[in-house]
Amino acid sequence: MAAIELDGVTKRFGDVEALRGVDMEVREGEIFGFLGPNGAGKTTTIDVLLDFVRATEGTATVLGHDAHEESRAIRERTGVLPEGFDVYGRLTGRQHVEFVSEAKGVDADPDAVRERVGLDPEDFDRKASGYSKGMKQRLVLGMALVGEPDLLILDEPSTGLDPNGARRMREIVREERERGATVFFSSHILGQVESVCDRVAILEGGEVVAVDTVEGLRDSLGAETVLTVNLAESVDGMVAAVEGVTGVESARASGATVIVQCSDDVKMEVLSAIEDAGGNVENFDTEEASLDELFAAYTEDDE
Amino acid sequence: MSGDSGAAGEGSAVVVLDEALREQFTWYVVAKKEFKDTVRSKGLWVLSLVFLVLFVVPLLGVVFDFLGLGRAAQVSGTGALINTIYLNLVALLLPLIAMFIGYAALTRERESGSLKVLLSLPFSRRDVIIGKVVGRCAVVTLPLLAALALTALLLVSMSIPFDPVLYGLFVLFTVGLALVMVSIAVSISGAVPSGRWSLVVNFFAYFYFSFVWNSLANGLGNVMQNQLGMGGSIRWQITLFVKLLSPTQAYKTLVNSRIADGPNAARLARLEMFSPGADRATLCTDVLRGNATVRQTAFGGNQTVCQAASDGVPLYFSDAAVFVYLLLWIGLAAAISYYTFDRVDL
Repeated sequence: MAAIELDGVTKRFGDVEALRGVDMEVREGEIFGFLGPNGAGKTTTIDVLLDFVRATEGTATVLGHDAHEESRAIRERTGVLPEGFDVYGRLTGRQHVEFVSEAKGVDADPDAVRERVGLDPEDFDRKASGYSKGMKQRLVLGMALVGEPDLLILDEPSTGLDPNGARRMREIVREERERGATVFFSSHILGQVESVCDRVAILEGGEVVAVDTVEGLRDSLGAETVLTVNLAESVDGMVAAVEGVTGVESARASGATVIVQCSDDVKMEVLSAIEDAGGNVENFDTEEASLDELFAAYTEDDE
Repeated sequence: MSGDSGAAGEGSAVVVLDEALREQFTWYVVAKKEFKDTVRSKGLWVLSLVFLVLFVVPLLGVVFDFLGLGRAAQVSGTGALINTIYLNLVALLLPLIAMFIGYAALTRERESGSLKVLLSLPFSRRDVIIGKVVGRCAVVTLPLLAALALTALLLVSMSIPFDPVLYGLFVLFTVGLALVMVSIAVSISGAVPSGRWSLVVNFFAYFYFSFVWNSLANGLGNVMQNQLGMGGSIRWQITLFVKLLSPTQAYKTLVNSRIADGPNAARLARLEMFSPGADRATLCTDVLRGNATVRQTAFGGNQTVCQAASDGVPLYFSDAAVFVYLLLWIGLAAAISYYTFDRVDL
């Protein structure tokens, strides 16, 4: 059974069409990244899943329940880190976690939650009004984990987190999947999604433009390795020699360095072509195209 | 049995109750959170102070005779005190205070974004409305009861005759009025998109209930008589009923009726809601089932006097019914609010 299933979901706010026929399926037990630039409709999609807004057309099913008709049943088994949230300034972090435990009818240990998300004990017992954005983010992430939910919906979870916090968040996401939960999280920062997600969807202008694994996206773009070769000294005709190799997209020289964009499996041929042209290879470095570049490729040639 | 184990027993009773409520009512956790959250605000202390000023200061005024009410008001006891100082003051200010406490209950959470956290938990929107109404009601009731208790203590400790039953009913009606106005305010805040809207709509609701409703009811009666040809008993029945639907009017006539006490008290209290120009004979006999007699006044005019009859006032105009009408507002306001809030995109 799919954890989340969107079928032709359209949402109009007055004249503005925020979502245009979104079809998407998130499988049980996977980490699913939901990518898109700001304003693409990521939060609106999540709002539909949680019944914060109602779809104009189409249906959304979460954990087998209709997102509107059976929203409560969904939220009983779901942990949420919403976007643009605030905490209750007069309650302590501990009271927040206790409140969630009561709401979900579970007996969670607040200190275990606190430790997991890395909040200081002193901070945990003071009023949340003094929390920084990052601390609030950690607190609400912790609240989302209470009661071992079957599904985690995290909207831009890294917002306000320092690099350590962002790493901790990714660890938690992996741990939750190990436990058997499905994790659905949105981001416009791709580096965070790339390293943890089993699959990603790219949303652009209210439409899903791609759903695949990160590798699959790379392949479908014919994507590319960047090979940087350092030579002892520059050799005439080395760029032409490299460009002659099948599978090389482009090559350029910069002093004694040749930078080659090519498919992954022709690296060795490129190196031997350079040596054949009289080049003396000192070392080389390969780098996979980052998702940022893939993402740009998907979202920029639309216009 | 030691004191310690007694305290523990009490503690576990609270725990059992807490758990039972949680299992029975899905809104209970919201109400508890709301109460805990609001109780920690400075606003609660300000509210206590406001109630203290509202109830205790006028009393001191009477005792030390600042208000020129004289010894008469003092010696005649609880009823006279309520009638002369509290009734109009409370009817005027308590709704204002209560609305101020409730007007931002939902809009504030909506504007800050904490509503997203709240509604990502397994609460329905109805749970949120009911929880907010109950929580805020508790927040107002606590300092209100404290101030009223202190007032009672002062009354007892001074040489003013204290009538515990009358005072108890006064407390009941006053708390009832506060709850109704808080519910209306919270409900409005659930039904409108922003805090500013809530403030405006709440103010209009207050203004209408306090200053316009009565004229509207009278106007309705005139329209029935002049435009629709519905004169006589039915006109006055409906006019009275509409008047009673205003929370502040209902509150006043309830308190008046209890102060006067006796078999004719409710009838006279309802009659008091009308201006001298009203058809008092019809009101007395046909609407309130009393005995109207016309007497000559000392100045030669006629005066209709309404006396007790073998029947009491009809059930639907009795004090109990009026109290029910008052409390019905809580459910009505919450229902309208839920209807709106449930449909809106957050």
